[in-house]
Amino acid sequence: MVGALLLVLVAAPALAALGCTAVRPGQAAALNLAASVVGFAAAVPLTVLSRGGPYHYWDGWVIFDGPGGWVVLCAAVVYLLSSIYAIGYMPLVGEDERLPSFYALFAGFALAILVSPLMNNAAIYWIAIELTTLVSTFLIAFERAAESIEAAWKYIVIVSTGISLALFGTVLFYWNGSFLLGPTYNMTWDALRQAAPGMNPTLAVLAFLLVLVGYGTKVGLAPMHTWLPDAHSESPAPISAMLSGALLNAAMLGIVRYLAIADATKAGALPRLALVALGALSLLIAALFIVRQHSIKRLMAYSSVEHMGVIALGFGFGGPFGVAGALYHMLNHSLNKSLMFFGAGNMMRSYGSKEIADIRAVPQRFPVQAALWLAGAAAITGAPPFGLFLSELVVLRAGFERSFAWAAYVMAVLLIVVFIGFLSHFRAMYFDPVADAGASAPMRSPGGWCVAPMVLALMPILVFGLWWPQPMWEFFRETAALLSGAGR
Amino acid sequence: MSPRDILLQIAQVLTVLAFAPLLQGAIVQFEERVQRAQGPGILQPYRDLWKLFHKQIVAPQTASWIYWAAPVVAFTAMLTVPILIPVLTDFPLPLSDMGDILGGGLILTLGSFVIVLAGLDSGSAYGGIGSSRAVMVAILAEPTLILVFVGITLLAKAMLPFVVNHLLVGSPAVYWSPAHLFLVAAFFILLLVETDRLPIHSNTHIEVYMIEEARILEYSGPMLAVLKWASMMKQFILYTIFSNVLVLPWGLSHQGSALGTAASLAALLGKFLLVALVVVFVDTAQSRLRFYRYQEPLAASFLLAVLAIIGTQL
Amino acid sequence: MLPAPLDPLASSLFSLTAIATLLLAFVMLGSRWLDNYLYAFAAQSWAIAALGAAVGYFAQAPDLYLIAALTALFRGLVLPYLIWRMIRRLQIARELHETLRPASALVVGALAVIFSLFVSHALAGPLGLGGTVAILALTVMMATVLIGFLMLAIRTEAVSQIFGLLVLENGVRLGAQILIPGMPLLIELVILADVLAAVACLGVLVRYLLTQFGTASTAGLKRLVG
Repeated sequence: MVGALLLVLVAAPALAALGCTAVRPGQAAALNLAASVVGFAAAVPLTVLSRGGPYHYWDGWVIFDGPGGWVVLCAAVVYLLSSIYAIGYMPLVGEDERLPSFYALFAGFALAILVSPLMNNAAIYWIAIELTTLVSTFLIAFERAAESIEAAWKYIVIVSTGISLALFGTVLFYWNGSFLLGPTYNMTWDALRQAAPGMNPTLAVLAFLLVLVGYGTKVGLAPMHTWLPDAHSESPAPISAMLSGALLNAAMLGIVRYLAIADATKAGALPRLALVALGALSLLIAALFIVRQHSIKRLMAYSSVEHMGVIALGFGFGGPFGVAGALYHMLNHSLNKSLMFFGAGNMMRSYGSKEIADIRAVPQRFPVQAALWLAGAAAITGAPPFGLFLSELVVLRAGFERSFAWAAYVMAVLLIVVFIGFLSHFRAMYFDPVADAGASAPMRSPGGWCVAPMVLALMPILVFGLWWPQPMWEFFRETAALLSGAGR
Repeated sequence: MSPRDILLQIAQVLTVLAFAPLLQGAIVQFEERVQRAQGPGILQPYRDLWKLFHKQIVAPQTASWIYWAAPVVAFTAMLTVPILIPVLTDFPLPLSDMGDILGGGLILTLGSFVIVLAGLDSGSAYGGIGSSRAVMVAILAEPTLILVFVGITLLAKAMLPFVVNHLLVGSPAVYWSPAHLFLVAAFFILLLVETDRLPIHSNTHIEVYMIEEARILEYSGPMLAVLKWASMMKQFILYTIFSNVLVLPWGLSHQGSALGTAASLAALLGKFLLVALVVVFVDTAQSRLRFYRYQEPLAASFLLAVLAIIGTQL
Repeated sequence: MLPAPLDPLASSLFSLTAIATLLLAFVMLGSRWLDNYLYAFAAQSWAIAALGAAVGYFAQAPDLYLIAALTALFRGLVLPYLIWRMIRRLQIARELHETLRPASALVVGALAVIFSLFVSHALAGPLGLGGTVAILALTVMMATVLIGFLMLAIRTEAVSQIFGLLVLENGVRLGAQILIPGMPLLIELVILADVLAAVACLGVLVRYLLTQFGTASTAGLKRLVG
């Protein structure tokens, strides 16, 4: 059952990617949408079924366990929402003849993201992440504008460098394991975990730090985040949502798996401390840049950095609360960030500008969307009754319980700073008086395809903020136990 | 401390004294020949020294005791160094443990240093320019020279040039190791710099190029002869270190007999011929670098020295 | 897989090729001409392939011959060819704007090598591998990675940045060959294919840069700030 669902999950975007290269633009969008619906339909039961323990397929090359299943779910959700949104948004970009290749790349991108959490071998996982980089570069550069190409160049150079560092760390992990497992072995996550207690601690710490910096570049942890605002702001809105909501999680999974291995070695507290430190730094830098931001999509991108910092803190704190908070935050953030990027994309197209200063009087112009977007803004800054409030609260609690109180205080203060900064931009956009009242040009209203995903994204966030389902809590607890293993 | 050893030691110093102008003459002659000119002849430096010793001394009024002392100090330093290095024999001779590799390098630098002081002492503009440029090149080159000596020391695990010589003769693995090859390359670049070859120095006497010539502009007569002789001896000594210690350590006398010593002298001149050919080739093939690009070959030399040191550790 | 202690011939062969690799990385660092980067990179890839073949010989693992041959072919011929085509399309032949002079870059690179030596001694000590080829491998690996980083940081031409990335990858490859020659063949092949794909994508992006900006220099990429 699980195997069949996995096959469907992977085959749908793969077929869509192949198919999109051969069809007309309208059909390409529909094909992509179909693939995303199928993928989502496969991902939900998969997540439920993943509680049954790690499944191994294909002679051990494919693994399906709790954390992987959760990341797949987040990715599938964002893929679905972005595909719906893309149908309404991409015609506005004005590159109709290149749309089939866009959708082919889109489906390929989704395929790479969905496949990477399933890879059991650490080196194959690395290759999957590298492939996501290569595919997404062309998506970022899709509009062929000067800024897009600049963003794509920075993205591919910085992220490829980071990924090469992650390869360095992977090589060192393999070497460390080879002292116990012999010169040739299949470097699965389990094998490394088994060998971990006998690994040399210094080497394990060095290897983990390299992997942290390497995959941390991909996740967008500061100070390796410099590509993120550029790439997320210059790509088309559906791609920004995918990048923020799906890709960052997939890379985070690598760090989490290596952290579990590092915990099992006798490496002490340094790996966790490093992750917590990077998370706190990400929060700090994101908070500072959010306060002084002037571009709407860059604002959202820095918000991604902030939330990845929170997730990093959650995983770094560890324990059942930390992991539960971080995983919950992953899903909530994916939904919420998609919502925010969709709104930002709509505003950009309607107002014709990326600058916050040019977007004014939103409720008067687009009442429905304004309500949705404002709700999303309140949610993403961590206000109740939305899901992110709960997940951030759980992460804070984990920090206090796991003797990382300093980090928890820093996180709380910076979340307040972000709340004030982020919402002040929204206050300006919504409630500031317009300079030339009444003399504005008629604005193109975003179509239903552009607004529906925002609704679809907001509902679950609201639900998750009010109700934390017991099965989900059980799932998180089991995943936490899985990640910490028997060594705790 | 046998009389024969003392004689050999004196013979080493005399060799350097007597054959230094020959080396200089040979290099200049080769260069001219390579450039298809007639050349002044190999023995020209001897003729120049003879001429200078018979000329009158004209000293500037502002000269102090440094002016008079510098040539003497430089000459004496150049006479001291041959005692420390293997010139004719590959076993240590009396008083050769007065200084090791580093000590030898320091004494060489002392000679250059007093000439720099002398250039400043006369108060002329050209002397000042020459001295300041010489010091700038020295700032770039001396650390590298020290690093090369450190590399040699780490390679042989001893600070005496004789030990290095034995090691390189006895063990081809060490001779062809990357550490040694890099040391040779680094030292070669330093050799070019210290013996006033391109790409740093130029042989023409136009003012802007003057580094060496500018410092000794105020000297005349026998003092000038002594200075020129000292710089020729420095070149000879550096070539000796390069050949006998680093690149071509074979051909030195093992027993110290008269025949062996004569043969080793002939071998020494033969080795110098080879090195001079390479130097002339490199010299002719390049043009002079801009002043601000002097650091480039010296940075490469520094790098090679560091790599050599790394290579000794691996 | 390598017998420890190594016999002297193996040790000096590894030493020679590894340090040649490092030296070629420095050649790239100290030069301004894109052609020099190309030749140095190709030579470096060949040196790494030779090293791989030597490891295969002394560890008695015939698999490594195949990997060495593929490294020589793909990293040593195909990649330089792809980049050569990129360079030919450019208008310039050398770095025009330098953040750090090549001479100073050489000195910084030398400091990086010293740092790597310290780190690998600190690592190899607790592992009990002091005095073996592991120190050489770790030092050269880390030094090449750091030099690749340096090139990425101080060069403004897009092609030079690509070379920096490739030098970084070469460094990791070199270390992997000596430290973990037993890595499964499949993984090695996939990593190699991945490097090729990355360079191909970078090439397409360089073409976009040329089309949009008229120059492949990244010094003008200053629109996105804040």
